[in-house]
Order: sequence, then structure tokens, then C-alpha cells
Amino acid sequence: MTLAAAIRTGDAGLLPSRRDEDWRWTDLRGLLRVLPDASAAFAGDAGAGPFSALGGEDLVLVNGGRAEIAVEAGEARQVCLRFVSRGAGRHASVVRVTLGEGARLRLLESYESDGASLAQVDLDIVQAGQARVERVVIADDDADAVTVSQTQVRLSPGSRFSQSVLTSGARRQRLETRILHPGGQAELRLDGIYLLDGKRHADLTTVVTHQGVDGATGQLTKGVVRDQSRAVFQGRITVAEGADRTAARMAHHGLILSDRAEIDAKPELEIYADDVACAHGNTVGALDQDALFYALQRGIPADEALALLTEAFIGEVVDRIEFEPARDIARAWVTARLGGRP
Amino acid sequence: MAAATKTVDQVAALESYEHGFVTDIDQEFAPKGLNADIVRFISAKKQEPQWMLDWRLEAFERWLAMDEPDWAKVSFPKIDYQDAFYYAAPKAKDGPKSLDEVDPELLAVYAKLGIPLKEQEVLAGVEGAPRYAVDAVFDSVSVVTTFKKELAEAGIIFCPMSEAIRDHGELVRKYLASVVPVSDNYFACLNSAVFSDGSFVYVPPGVRCPMELSTYFRINAENSGQFERTLIIADKGAYVSYLEGCTAPMRDENQLHAAVVELVLLDDAEIKYSTVQNWYPGDPATGKGGIYNFVTKRADCRGDRSKVSWTQVETGSAITWKYPSCVLRGEGSSGEFYSIAITNGRQQADTGTKMIHLGANTRSRIISKGISAGRSSNTYRGLVSAHPKAKGARNFTQCDSLLIGKTCAAHTVPYVEARNGQCVFEHEATTTKLSEDQLFYAMQRGLSQEEAVQLLVNGFVRDVLQQLPMEFAVEAQKLVAISLEGSVG
Repeated sequence: MTLAAAIRTGDAGLLPSRRDEDWRWTDLRGLLRVLPDASAAFAGDAGAGPFSALGGEDLVLVNGGRAEIAVEAGEARQVCLRFVSRGAGRHASVVRVTLGEGARLRLLESYESDGASLAQVDLDIVQAGQARVERVVIADDDADAVTVSQTQVRLSPGSRFSQSVLTSGARRQRLETRILHPGGQAELRLDGIYLLDGKRHADLTTVVTHQGVDGATGQLTKGVVRDQSRAVFQGRITVAEGADRTAARMAHHGLILSDRAEIDAKPELEIYADDVACAHGNTVGALDQDALFYALQRGIPADEALALLTEAFIGEVVDRIEFEPARDIARAWVTARLGGRP
Repeated sequence: MAAATKTVDQVAALESYEHGFVTDIDQEFAPKGLNADIVRFISAKKQEPQWMLDWRLEAFERWLAMDEPDWAKVSFPKIDYQDAFYYAAPKAKDGPKSLDEVDPELLAVYAKLGIPLKEQEVLAGVEGAPRYAVDAVFDSVSVVTTFKKELAEAGIIFCPMSEAIRDHGELVRKYLASVVPVSDNYFACLNSAVFSDGSFVYVPPGVRCPMELSTYFRINAENSGQFERTLIIADKGAYVSYLEGCTAPMRDENQLHAAVVELVLLDDAEIKYSTVQNWYPGDPATGKGGIYNFVTKRADCRGDRSKVSWTQVETGSAITWKYPSCVLRGEGSSGEFYSIAITNGRQQADTGTKMIHLGANTRSRIISKGISAGRSSNTYRGLVSAHPKAKGARNFTQCDSLLIGKTCAAHTVPYVEARNGQCVFEHEATTTKLSEDQLFYAMQRGLSQEEAVQLLVNGFVRDVLQQLPMEFAVEAQKLVAISLEGSVG
């Protein structure tokens, strides 16, 4: 991982650039000619995170660090995992999560920063058979922050992993999830929401590799860009030779609400097995003018109509969050970012 | 009964690559290898003016400084550019003046290919029978162009590139490399340095070309590459439909085909460009031999309301690596791309299109159907982008892949870049295998498995076949059947 090496050594030459196909729309080397200094240890209070009200265990990593979460077989846990950046330094975090047979984990994760920091997170999740994980991520970064989160998930037959990532972007931000899917009735849901404004950038990248028969993947990402913001969606589903009866669906829908905003999308299918049903759909465009007109002629002010329509558009993804209290927090977070703004 | 006999005939005829014959024609070669002298040699052979030679030499200089790209999802051993002939021509005395002077053996080749070269045959046909003008390119030179006179009466120029450089230097100079710049990419740059012939078409303002124009390319000589260059200019309000067909003999070595096709469209012009590509695909079992088809095709819709339509049926080549593109510059211009790519044996294809929306209210549509069988790999790679000024840009993309067999691969890699808030891009893709229910249904109605597969595949690609000109549609349908020969069971 070149980014981790760049943070460790402070060598900007190791950063990924747009010459790397995977990073073509999220250029870090072009952005950061010089890396910030390494972050100092933080002694103060990190305050409360977006999921703090829901209780459960708290695991807070301020300005980098290492942690482990081991959920024993049959055990059920709820963990608030917070990656907090204070100040304008560079740091990396490493978290290892393991789940035993039939274990359950609600992972409520957040990214919080308050300045021009450069943060990298390496999260590794390994699930044994029948283990279930629901991961809900709220990335609420500072407009000057640069954040890259890289997650690897290894599923086992019969296990289940569902993810909903919500982000408002940063100066440059990438939330990447790579999944090894063994098939064997393991289930996977990968959802994403981006709501960007100003000059923010967010990159949602997913790579799913189906390695065995009878795997299923469902993926839905939606987002809204305003002002001069830029969203990137890269989704790749690979079906290896012999991974028959794989059913994979990927959808990405983006709304561009200003003339200077941009959405780049690359939904990829890479299929080496023949007995599969894989599909992806991708739409990018402006808000439906007819719907807007309808709302206006019913007497709803333009601002409100716009908020209403975009919220309905995003709502479909929020509704797929299974843990209800987290869904409520996610919905409130979305509403706060869309509400009352033209 | 008739259908059964036809199938038997078809299978018998197509057990091997139909066009795999070699014609022993007295050939003239340039020495093997590539250097500035070879470029000079080609230019001198073509009796080109000085500006053309300078242009070629500059391209060659730039090519030397470039690196061969490797990003496509295809793999092949490194090409030794010094181990090939860059110029091979059937020996002719002073160039043929009429069909009678052309080597009869050569004409026999074209007859074998089923090209109605002899005008009288076409003219003798029933009134209203389809007529199309043909430019035939054999290895490095254009051997014969038909219907020139009739076209000239309409003001249309249709001639070999080498002739156009001599006789219509001004037009060529104005438009050559204006769509695909010399150093656009590695293979286009190589082509600029060593291209030997190709077709040149100019349709003057307001003229609707009275017939289909067509070119047949054939690589015959051993170890030779073919680098043709096609330039089509449709002036204001003009219309032309152009067909292109390709074949090559069976050889153990890989041969390089690096062509450049440039289309220029001014206001209200329309070009329909159809390709049936049937280069030798290599031995299906070992993957030995076959053509490397690395082609740059691009249309520049400069004029407002201009329209370009690419239709391609790709069944041949060991490796296909090409993206016919549309630069939609003019306001309200539109681009279409209809493609069938079939890979079988050990073929590899990485093909698709680019729709670059620069002007307001530009529209594009992409329909791509990929079929992989055997041990082949078939990739759709496409780019749809909208510039901030391309307000009201619209695109619809549909790419479907069909897999036949356990060992083939199908990939879909679309790139979408939307840079303004008033564009609408839609993309959908599916990858499936041939439906067993449908196969079963067709077979219990008495069709053999092979026939059933052909029927279903033809249904799968129907959207694209419908876009082909009549003459090609029949051929293409047959080709689809041939290409999948032996892929089931």
C-alpha cells in the first residue's frame, strides 16, 4: 500500500497519482506536493461522535493508532469505531476485526476531522461461517482534510456483510472497500451515499471478487453534487472461473445540481464464469424538471421542493440500513445536509 | 429440407476459415524492418510530394520516442517492429488503368471474397439492384476503384489515398490528421509514418452519395503489416454510407494491422460507417497466428446537427483493440455506435467507443453486444464524457454480454465523466449465459443444438444487425453463425 508507506516515510513521491488506473479520478500526488508533518499525540477530549447516542462500546482512535476487535463465536456486539483527526498532521490507523462462527457485529464507524490532516485507515474484517456484520459509516470530514479509508473484508460461506457508507466528502477523500466473496450462500450488500458541496471531493470505490458458487451481491449507490464538487464512483465485480450461479447487481445514480459540479463513474463487470446473472445500471444527470415543476405548482417553494425531491432520491438507500436507530441517525444526517438549500 | 441442406453446406464450407487462402501473386517488397529509409522508400514509391514525406518523417521521429501502451485487457508477446515488411505490393506495370489490366489472379481473389468488382456484372443485374463503388486494398496498395466516373459526375471524390495525395493535395493537407493527430497514440503514430494506402472520400456540400462506397482490405503477403489510412470528408449537408470489409490468409505468424480512419463532418452532414471485420482469428485450438487489429477510428462532428453512425461486426482477428469514437463538437450533433463483437477460440477483444460531448444538445447512443465462446476474452470499454459547455447532452448506453461455455470471459468497463448539471447519461449492462429454457424450447421444436444457438444469438444481436446496410446484414448474419461454429457441445 503505497499511501501507507508515504505516510510512514513522509515521501510524497509514493502517493498514488492519476497515472494509476485505480486512482485516475482521485489524484493525491498532484494535490499534495509536500506531506504534512506527522501528527502529534492528542491528549484532549475527542467529544461525541455521530453514533455516540446509541451506546455500545466506544473505540476512538485519535490521530492514528492500532486496535483489534475480536468477536467470539456466537457473541453479539455493537461498537462505535471513531477515526478522529485533530490538527493538520499526517497519520495512519490500523484496525483488525475478527468474527467467530455465528458472531454478530454492528460496526458504527465515523470519520471526523477539523483541519488539513492527511489520514489513512486500514481496516481488515475477517468473518467465519454464519457471522454477520452490519457496517454503517458516516464520513464527516473537514473541507481541508484528505482522508483515505481502505477496508478489506473476507467472508466465509453462509456469512453476511452489509454496508452503508454516507459521506459529505473532503478536500480529497476515498472510501474503498474490497471484498473476497466465497459464494456458498454468503450475502453482501454494499450501499453508498454522497452529498457534496463547495469544492469537496469523494470517491467511493468497491471491488468485489466472487470466488465460489452461489454468491449474491447487491449494490446501490446514490449521490448529489452541488457547487464545484466532484464525486467518483468506481465499482468492480469480478466473477472468477467456476464461481457459477453468482447473482450480482450494481446500481449507481448521481444527481448533478450545478453546472460546475462533476460526477465520474466506472461500474465494471469482469466475468470469467458462464452461469451468472450480473447487471449494472448507471445514470448521471440533472433533476427531473417535470417533478420539480409539479412540486412548484402545488405551491411548494423552490428550495423546499428541491430538498424534498433529493431527499426522496437518497431515501431509498437510507431505508436499506437494517439497524433502525442507525437508520434514523443516517436519515437526520442526510436531511441536515440537504434541507433548505437551493 | 432446404434449411437442412444449407446448414450442411455451411458447416462443410466453414469448417475452416473461408478466407484463409494465400494468393501467389508477384509481390514487390520493401526491405524488412523499420527506419527512416523505409519511410522514404514508401513515400517515393507513392510518388508523394515533399510535404508528405516531411510529415511522415516527423511522425516516425515521434513514434520512436513513444512507448507501446499496455492498458488493454489483452495479452500478446511483444511485437518486434523490425521483423516485418512495411510495404508489399502486387507488381503491376504503371498501375492499372482499368479492370482489364489488373492481374487476373487478383481479380480471382476478389471473386473468391465475393466482391462484385466487375461493374458490368453489377450493371447487368436487374434494374434497381444495389450498386456500390468498391476500392480494394491488397496489402499495401489500392488495386482498383470502381464507379469513379459516375461518382465524379456528382462531384464526389472516391479514390485511393495515394492518388488523393497527388491529385487533391490541398484537401488532404487540410484534413489529414486533423481528427487523429499524428501522435495521438502509439499505433496511430506508426501508421502516420508508414501508411501506404487507403481510401479517400470527399462529398461536396449538399450531395447525397448515390451509392454505397465500399473498401475491401486484404493482407496477403507473409510477415507484412497493413497500415491503411482512410479519410472521409462530408461537407455541409452531404451524406455518405461507407462499408469496410477485411480478410487475411491463414498464417502461423501474427500480422499487425494498424489503420487510422478519420471522418470529418461539417454542418448537417451525415456519415454511416459500417465494418465487417473478418481477419484471420488464429488457430482456435493453439491460438497460433492471426491478425493483431490495432486500429484508431474517430469521427469529428465539427458541424452543427451533423450525425455519424458507426456500425461494426467484429468476428475476426486474434486481438482486436479499437474504439471507434465520436467527437461531438457541433451544436446538436449526434453519434451512434452499434457493435457486435464475437470472440471464439483464443481470440481477445478489447473494444468499445468514446462519445465526447463538447457541444450543446449533443446526443449519443451506444448499443454493444459481446459474445464470448471457447477460451476467448471479450471486453467492452467505453467512455462517455460531457464537457462543461455540453449543456443538454444525452447518452444512452446498453451493453450486453453473452457467455457460451465455461472457459470464456466477458468484461464491461464503462467510463462516465459528467462535467455539467444539464446532461443526462444512462448506462445499463448485463452479462448472462444463453438461457437453457430458450435453448430447450428451440430444440424440442426440432432444431439441432447448433441451430438453436445460432437462432438465439441472432436474436441477441438483432438490434445491431438492423442498423447494417442491406448488403452487409446478410453477410454479417452468416458470419455470426460461422464464428460460433463448434462453440457448443
